[in-house]
Amino acid sequence: MNRREFLQCAAVLVGSAGVSGHVLALSQTQMTYLASADDYVKMPATLFSSQQRAIVAAAAETIIPRTDTPGAIDAGVPHFIELMVQDWLNDEESSIFMSGLQNLETGIPAELGASYDKLSAEQQLSVLEALEAAASKSPWYAMGNVRRTFISDAPFICQLKELTIWGFFTSEAGVKQVLRYNPMPMKFDGHYPRKPGDTTWAPFATIR
Amino acid sequence: MITAKNYDFDAIVVGSGITGGWAAKELTEKGLRVLVLERGRDLQHGTGYLGEHAPSWKIPFNGKPQRELEAENYEVQSKLHAFRTTNIQFWNNDKLNPYATDEGSEFQWFRGGVVGGRSLMWGRQTYRWSEEDFKANAKDGHGIPWPVSYDDIAPWYSYVEKFIGVNGRKEGLPQLPDGEFQKPMPWYAVEETIAERLKQNAPDVTLTNARTAILTEDLPGRSACHYCGPCENGCSTGSYFSSQSSTLPAARATNRMTLRPNSVVERLEYDEKTQRISKVHVIDSETLQRHSFSARVVFLCASTVGSTQLLLNSTSEAFPNGLANRSGVLGQNLMDHFLGLGTMGMFADNRDTYYYGNRPTGLYIPRFRNLPGQKEDLGFVRGYGYQTIINNSNWTGSFNQKGFGAGLKAKLAQLPNTWTFFAAGFGECLPNPQNRVYLSQKKDRYGMRQVAFEFNWGDNEKAMAKDIQAQGKRIVDASGSAFTMSFGDAESLSVPGSGIHEMGTARMGNDPSQSVLNKYNQAHDVPNLFVTDGSFMASSSCVNPSLTYMAFTARACDYAVKQLEAGVI
Repeated sequence: MNRREFLQCAAVLVGSAGVSGHVLALSQTQMTYLASADDYVKMPATLFSSQQRAIVAAAAETIIPRTDTPGAIDAGVPHFIELMVQDWLNDEESSIFMSGLQNLETGIPAELGASYDKLSAEQQLSVLEALEAAASKSPWYAMGNVRRTFISDAPFICQLKELTIWGFFTSEAGVKQVLRYNPMPMKFDGHYPRKPGDTTWAPFATIR
Repeated sequence: MITAKNYDFDAIVVGSGITGGWAAKELTEKGLRVLVLERGRDLQHGTGYLGEHAPSWKIPFNGKPQRELEAENYEVQSKLHAFRTTNIQFWNNDKLNPYATDEGSEFQWFRGGVVGGRSLMWGRQTYRWSEEDFKANAKDGHGIPWPVSYDDIAPWYSYVEKFIGVNGRKEGLPQLPDGEFQKPMPWYAVEETIAERLKQNAPDVTLTNARTAILTEDLPGRSACHYCGPCENGCSTGSYFSSQSSTLPAARATNRMTLRPNSVVERLEYDEKTQRISKVHVIDSETLQRHSFSARVVFLCASTVGSTQLLLNSTSEAFPNGLANRSGVLGQNLMDHFLGLGTMGMFADNRDTYYYGNRPTGLYIPRFRNLPGQKEDLGFVRGYGYQTIINNSNWTGSFNQKGFGAGLKAKLAQLPNTWTFFAAGFGECLPNPQNRVYLSQKKDRYGMRQVAFEFNWGDNEKAMAKDIQAQGKRIVDASGSAFTMSFGDAESLSVPGSGIHEMGTARMGNDPSQSVLNKYNQAHDVPNLFVTDGSFMASSSCVNPSLTYMAFTARACDYAVKQLEAGVI
């Protein structure tokens, strides 16, 4: 079986049953073949105001900007963050996130005269750097503290970075245009040459 | 004549996983009409693999765990590294099908919940036991002597290996006998560097391919591996061995298999007159209706704990302590390999190479301690091996770093400057009657008594754990590591059960007063009962056990059919 036949094979293995609302579980009764499902980031989110959306988008772009490759906004990360805060964070975590967001929404204008999304790129960066400096003792930054699901009392800036980076490097744009993606390699080569500027392969599964 | 009209079937096989599939294949191919009873739901090979090849952006929460759902329904199963949103449908629902986790001692029982059982998400490591492994109990007095030698089982190893497809490299080591191998998977350049240095600096250690039931050459109906990576999502090309990809299709092809999912076996009924199991009582998990089936012979392949639970629950006047339990040892001598201990090293070698494709297995360091001829007293008996992997560093290992912007983006995407090599020990666990499965007073939704566990690591395992750490450091240092670090806690060891190699509890032996099964996996007390999952094991070796379960199952089927033909059963 070659690669093309293989992908055709995957394409016919499609179940039915749509996914609606917030029912996301790939459960015993929802026989949806995931590879043919809609992108997760196309799920509806209604949590943020338009002002909050603008701020989250600007902050995500500060963390992962567009360069010669797509950035956080290109990859749909702001909407991913809204979905995760709405549907995935627990109450404790989402209240940390929402109060951090409120600080960007109301505290920053009081201090700098404009909401976060209206600041210059330099100002935006220094706002996030100040937040990171204040949070720098958080165990979130401990080396190797990555093999876990989420840190429930992590400060807002850590939540924002984690959701941005996860959302970006698991997005289609992040995987295909920033990392390298090959779902059907057909061989293993342990002597594959590396060239300057090469990026890693997108991981086939994230660590639990 | 082995088929008889006054029975519903010639044989009943309980379980459709790694051994149930083999029993179904062997018995049907030998002409028997076989009913396979599977507790879990139906699942089709291929179309049932809902998460196969799903890219991260299609997965709910882009692959972050479904926390509420998992906490509610998969409290135990979700602790396992192989548990994912993309294969959640394979696993036991812990809320619906619980065991007594609040009594006894902690034991993690990982279970399948569909046709195919754990053969769908097993680690696919496939090793023969050695001559010494079968002699160990008799030699050092732990447990009871094995009634089977390596020579008895070797032809069955070959038989199974040829069918399932094992890739590996021959090494000629007595402690890890070679098998029938397909061509080995290629190595990372840095693994070759490590192997060369070990030859120089640690010649007692062999680094070889992990022998793995993944095809590197096509077999009928199954394609060679396409190196997508996450086997545990299911593989519609059948590139790794599962009962779904291999043995169940073979059984189905005979037209003599009836496979009944959603069939929870409640009890085996014993007839004192014939001294045989006369009926298998089943509750349909969907309709909750009860059914019973008769057959000339019954094969229990319901997993170590599942089969023992069923026998303990099948009491009668003749067997007040559980069916086939005149010895009283049923449930005892539960074993599991301990793991999670080892050494990691970072290597600054081969930095001009990267890799292409996801090799779904690693390398293996076979046992090198306490071998025949080695005189040193290590303070423990038996031994251990290491499974090794190269960790393909990427953003998932460093997303919690400081910084923002283009620099951060580049750092998270760039190739690592070093290779990370992990060597994880798998230690042999001694049989100990205190380590056991027993029935709780708590009942499940069918009214059956749940199982609970009593299990503690012994002094031998704890002494071996220290050696695993010390030798791991020696090996990684000898490999030329730039930075070496041990991982795991050699004091507490892993949570029992987390090796997912639970075995024992219905051990085989020549002495019926000390064992449940004879050397053909046949119950001493009940001639038409065979138990061929891991419960028959009289010791644990240090290698992954599934191949041994399969070989003993095929051998037991051969014996059972001969007994049927001779009219003995």
